[in-house]
Amino acid sequence: MKAIDKLIAPLDKALERFDPLWQAEHGTGGLRSRYYDKTGVAKWREWRGVKDTLYDYTAWIKNIICMVQMVAMAPLPILKGFWEYRWMGSYLGTFMFIDRLFEGYRGPELRIAHMNMHAIVQSLTKRIAFALKNDARLGGGPDTENIIPHDETITPLFLKGFKGLYPFPLQTLPEFIICDVDQHIEPYYVDVAESFGLPADVCSRCAAETGVAIDDAFPLFGKVMLSTNMPCNASEATSMFQRRRIGKPDFPITLAMQHNEKEALPYSRQTLLDAIAFVEEHYGVKYDWDEFFKYAKLMNEQNTIELEKWDFFKTPYSPLSGVSESLYRLYSWQSVNGQDPYFNKVDRKVIEIIRKAYEQKYLPFGGKTRHRAFLWGPSAVYYTDFPTWVQNCWGITIVLNMDSTMGFNMIDTEDPEKALDDLTRFTEKACMRHHAVGGWDNINALWTWAKEFNCDMILFNDNIACKGMLGTHALMEEQAREMGFHFIFVEHDLEDSRTVSRQDMRNCVNNYMSVVLGEKPLDPTIVEFDDAAAY
Amino acid sequence: MNKFWKTLLKILGKTLLIGFITFVLTFALYMFNGENKLIYYVVRPFLNKHYDSQVRDRKV
Repeated sequence: MKAIDKLIAPLDKALERFDPLWQAEHGTGGLRSRYYDKTGVAKWREWRGVKDTLYDYTAWIKNIICMVQMVAMAPLPILKGFWEYRWMGSYLGTFMFIDRLFEGYRGPELRIAHMNMHAIVQSLTKRIAFALKNDARLGGGPDTENIIPHDETITPLFLKGFKGLYPFPLQTLPEFIICDVDQHIEPYYVDVAESFGLPADVCSRCAAETGVAIDDAFPLFGKVMLSTNMPCNASEATSMFQRRRIGKPDFPITLAMQHNEKEALPYSRQTLLDAIAFVEEHYGVKYDWDEFFKYAKLMNEQNTIELEKWDFFKTPYSPLSGVSESLYRLYSWQSVNGQDPYFNKVDRKVIEIIRKAYEQKYLPFGGKTRHRAFLWGPSAVYYTDFPTWVQNCWGITIVLNMDSTMGFNMIDTEDPEKALDDLTRFTEKACMRHHAVGGWDNINALWTWAKEFNCDMILFNDNIACKGMLGTHALMEEQAREMGFHFIFVEHDLEDSRTVSRQDMRNCVNNYMSVVLGEKPLDPTIVEFDDAAAY
Repeated sequence: MNKFWKTLLKILGKTLLIGFITFVLTFALYMFNGENKLIYYVVRPFLNKHYDSQVRDRKV
């Protein structure tokens, strides 16, 4: 390896002036220099040095192969899907999305980021093919009746006890994932919902999901729908709109809101048992605990490795951080949830790289990190590639995101009674439910997380349409002052970038960094730029 | 050199040549961001035009 490095060193030297990181350091350009104005379309791809550029190229090829495989799996349904669903067109922005997310990444950071991203791409492409192949709107398929559609915030793991049935988070494809890839897709669905009189001040996620339902843009499959009580009344309302529009028998899995209290456990536990009985009744399939245990073991391994990763995150030597950490954890926990051994394989490889980097005291991002931040950030941080931008522009490393701290308890894999208790706790700590509801302690946990991970800064996304979290705004600010953290509120309207633009979001950080801290940007080309027309 | 080795070398040479040409073409497409330009300026506008012309039954 060292011989190859020696061989390509002169070439790297000759071409280094094309590297945007080098350009930013030498005042000859930067990461924004290679873009056409507004569009987010790059004139050429980032030059990262010979080795890293070739690595990025092979990752690109691997992702293209996944897309080709997706089309080969179900050519006609995929074609029909593109024609029928507006959100399918947005998936074409995936390559641009990946490029944006990993700007400025080099060495082990880049390798881990692509390993994680490829796991998502291979999983998602298979799911799209599976969903469209069995979508009753497009003619249906062999498994149309074997799918259990469920709310995106329900953990699919507990449904793996039904052999031969396939849990499928219904909102994932048209909303939950695609809003991260394309900022222009959900405003269309928000408008559909608002044209029916839905007020414009509700959470844009809920409004968009309602719009998807009214637009008949949810794939249709399964015999029932498993909905849930969600962190806010807007999301409960969208469950109702979806139920009315889709018209299938519905079971709301109403987990205890005050889930930290011990007394709540039997209630939530019973809800899961009732959901299992509901599925058994409608599908005629008996729940099989041994089948469940197979997947619980995979989930336990995912979580065991995750906990080890956290120990490294507490040090300055982790090459896994920012968007490649948070997006991967969000998808691998909430959506995969122990169902796909490929993710275990990736986790095993990634932890090896992290261990090695720690042994070598490797400083990621060229050692340019100035601040370590804990992120309280939902979808709006992905379409804006926010963690990558704060790293490249201001040297702020996002150590951990709130979503990454979802259910990390182990699940018993021998005794169904114990497993059910563990599973209940695990399900109660799912996406959003874990932090935004369940009492003040869950929100306040932010300070403990930030302290444990040696962060000096907190980036707190402030969804201007989230009624619950708006109430905590001043309280959080007061506490931050007392606790001594740099605390930045990043205003956004979640999935509606028309209300708060990407640049408006970036300005929240720009103002704090330049006015309060008096720091200079690492790359002046990305402090202020117009990317309103970008995906 | 017998016939077998000659054929083998020929096949190997051709495979390498095809591999090299494929690499050059795909790397050029990658480096000049070809697929994203095509998607952004041609494919998506075409699809969006189609989506905008769809008639949806949105009675609630």
